[in-house]
Amino acid sequence: MDSRDELAARLDACQKCNVCTAQCPVAKVNPHFIGPKGLGPDMERFRLGQTIPRETTLDDCSNCKTCEVTCPSGVKITEMIIEARRAASKAPHKNTLGLKLRLRGYVLGRAEYLGKLGVIWPTMTNQILKIKPVRLALDKVLSISKSGPLPAYGKPLEVLVGKRPKIKASDSKQVVYFPGCYTRYNEADTGQILIKVLEHVGYKVIMPDFHCCGLPLDANGQFEKAHKNGLYNLELMRPYLEADMPIITSCTSCGLTLKEEYPKFQTTSAQLIGAHSYDLFEFLWQLYEKGELPLDFQEVKASYGYHPPCHLKAQRIGTPVVRILGLISGVKIRNLDAGCCGLSGSYGFKAEKYDNAMKIGSTLFEAINVGAGRGDFQEITTECGVCKVQIQHGTGIPTDHPVRILAKAYGLIN
Amino acid sequence: MWDAVVVGGGLAGLIAGIRATQRGKRVLLVTEGVGTLFHFSGIFDYGDVEGLRHLPKHPYTLFDSQAITQGKHFVQEICPEYVVNDRPQSAFNVLGTVRQGDLMPRSMVLPDPQEQGVFVLLVPEGLKDFFPEIVADNMAREFPGWQVSVKRMQVDALQEWTRLGKSVTSIDYADIWRSEEGYRALAHEIDEIKRQFQDAGRSQGKIVVVLPSLVREYFDASRTKFYRNEFSLPVLEMSSFVPSPHGRYFAEYLKHIFTDLGGELMIGARAVSLKGELNSEGHAKICQELVVRSMGKLMRLKGKKFILATGGLLGGGIKVGMARRSIRESVFDLPLFIPQEWSVPQFLAPQPYAQIGVETDQFMRPLDPVSGQVVWDNVHVVGRMLAHWDPWTQRCGGGVSVTSGYAAAELI
Repeated sequence: MDSRDELAARLDACQKCNVCTAQCPVAKVNPHFIGPKGLGPDMERFRLGQTIPRETTLDDCSNCKTCEVTCPSGVKITEMIIEARRAASKAPHKNTLGLKLRLRGYVLGRAEYLGKLGVIWPTMTNQILKIKPVRLALDKVLSISKSGPLPAYGKPLEVLVGKRPKIKASDSKQVVYFPGCYTRYNEADTGQILIKVLEHVGYKVIMPDFHCCGLPLDANGQFEKAHKNGLYNLELMRPYLEADMPIITSCTSCGLTLKEEYPKFQTTSAQLIGAHSYDLFEFLWQLYEKGELPLDFQEVKASYGYHPPCHLKAQRIGTPVVRILGLISGVKIRNLDAGCCGLSGSYGFKAEKYDNAMKIGSTLFEAINVGAGRGDFQEITTECGVCKVQIQHGTGIPTDHPVRILAKAYGLIN
Repeated sequence: MWDAVVVGGGLAGLIAGIRATQRGKRVLLVTEGVGTLFHFSGIFDYGDVEGLRHLPKHPYTLFDSQAITQGKHFVQEICPEYVVNDRPQSAFNVLGTVRQGDLMPRSMVLPDPQEQGVFVLLVPEGLKDFFPEIVADNMAREFPGWQVSVKRMQVDALQEWTRLGKSVTSIDYADIWRSEEGYRALAHEIDEIKRQFQDAGRSQGKIVVVLPSLVREYFDASRTKFYRNEFSLPVLEMSSFVPSPHGRYFAEYLKHIFTDLGGELMIGARAVSLKGELNSEGHAKICQELVVRSMGKLMRLKGKKFILATGGLLGGGIKVGMARRSIRESVFDLPLFIPQEWSVPQFLAPQPYAQIGVETDQFMRPLDPVSGQVVWDNVHVVGRMLAHWDPWTQRCGGGVSVTSGYAAAELI
């Protein structure tokens, strides 16, 4: 069965129960959005008959994948919507998007170039992005919301590859780290801590000069560039994949792209990537189950609220971070599971979507504010960089990647 | 190694998961989607328990009446708005007719029809699949001594919906009532009704506001805030249409209880197969791991016990193929009881296909229907997957799911 037939088969699996729309964070706040069932399987029947709806309707979906995780019948709803966007971008009447929005798609899709630019002189970039007239200009010229929580830049994470990377089958204690643009350009210290943790548990870390995974490009209609990035990254990974080395991600969206999108590429490494990519904590839990995870934890007396990012849920691996942090004495962690933060990659940066993104996040913000107010926890922890930025924007409560808690327990940081 | 791996996140699976976690067990619950709880009306039906216990092979025959009562009390324990009662109670369904139920939230229980009073049906603008005229007619027929009046209301937050002529689901309304703004709008509307009816002297009897889509028995994602109840008149809620807000909130609520107790939820994962070997006596097999498809790789989930709570034909636990008579249990490939004739012509008559499911021993372990031997030693089957019952005509869906889920957790 080719992938098109498979999609059609899943289309027939849709029982029209509407549970996806009932759970969709966007449909809840945007009356113009017809919801995942409508835009996915319902419209798919028309699309199969070559009637392609306007891009702007398709554009309302934030690609959080809540519908897919929710669907009791395994229908690939978001995939249908993204495929339809792809088809619409090639359609003859594609000029429905104005120049401004196309330009914005170009800018927001380029998380990597923005990162490369931003880190040339991070303090200056950060200062400039704090200037109100600059944000106003971005809002006017590119429809990038003047209120959205644009992340700050820092010194980038250095690439880690030997001059001639030695890959031998016996070197099984090596992993490849795919940091993603956010860690690389906005939060390199988290990346360094993660590398220290992996070294502490006995793994040498290789970090080739990867490009952006492609997800922000796909989400902003830059499908060809996304495809090129994917091929480039897969080629960089090839020798390591062939040597049976795990690829570790710390960003849940990059992780999802590696697991879900890359296997669709027509290259040999694409066939290996799915089985070799791991979320950091998924990987650590596997070590724990094999009895290979060092358990030399110091006590960490702290309570955290945990926000599971949508794209972690979409990886269908449960919440391994809760299991791992549960091994550390003193750590209290509460899985908030209060829905999408609303930012959804670059969705919430867009001027016309900012208010809705904040409304989507309000349930989560409330859960955090109430819990913190009652003293259940003092900080929030979540794997996703943009969720972190949005949570801090919406609640003002310090939020960090959970690898920092683990590094504390291992005595690697204070 | 998990103490128990529960497959399926519907009512039976979540009850089993919560109870086992509460008992200090390490439990992983794997579910493909949200399950059929989104179809839950808010009312648990137990049916004529004593009568059904006399039907050969009915799931109730696997339990003594004490176990059935324990399950009911467990629901009350985790959700105190549900009150265990000796006799069935009555509620309005979504069409305004009266239906009986065995376990329902306090806020749904109807007043005494012998009393006199006024029902004010409060209708939120644009509520999907809700027909106020029919509902009011039915209510008047059911309560001849009561006056029924309809009042419509609008919510500011939904102005754009109204302008577009777009209907609003009861789930979205239930969500709005929980917000500060929505609560205020509702409280204001109820004050108005009070003024209109009571203060104007239009009614001497009891005034009861009837509201669809109000779900107040479960707390929300912040785990602290129960729905606020302070209204100037008593508010009665109706059961709801699908996708149901009661089902949605109850599913969320059970999920949070489960994870707060330390249970782990793996949502979106499809169980594909399992690995096991024959036990020492060579009769039954012992399941060692459940294989779950997670993106590009297969995850092997090792457990001591496995609970199969994947639902029946509707929930997706039993798959019917296009080929004639191709029907199978989709995770463990367990042998199914399948009646000779699947259906009878009368649509609303008891349908034989409702009886399709897995036969078990008294510990809910799957049996081979031909040899009568236990197939898997450490697998317990719960909920709709059990054979020989019919939730629709016997009206015992909630009862069988809660009882079997609870009882299975006691075996972990």
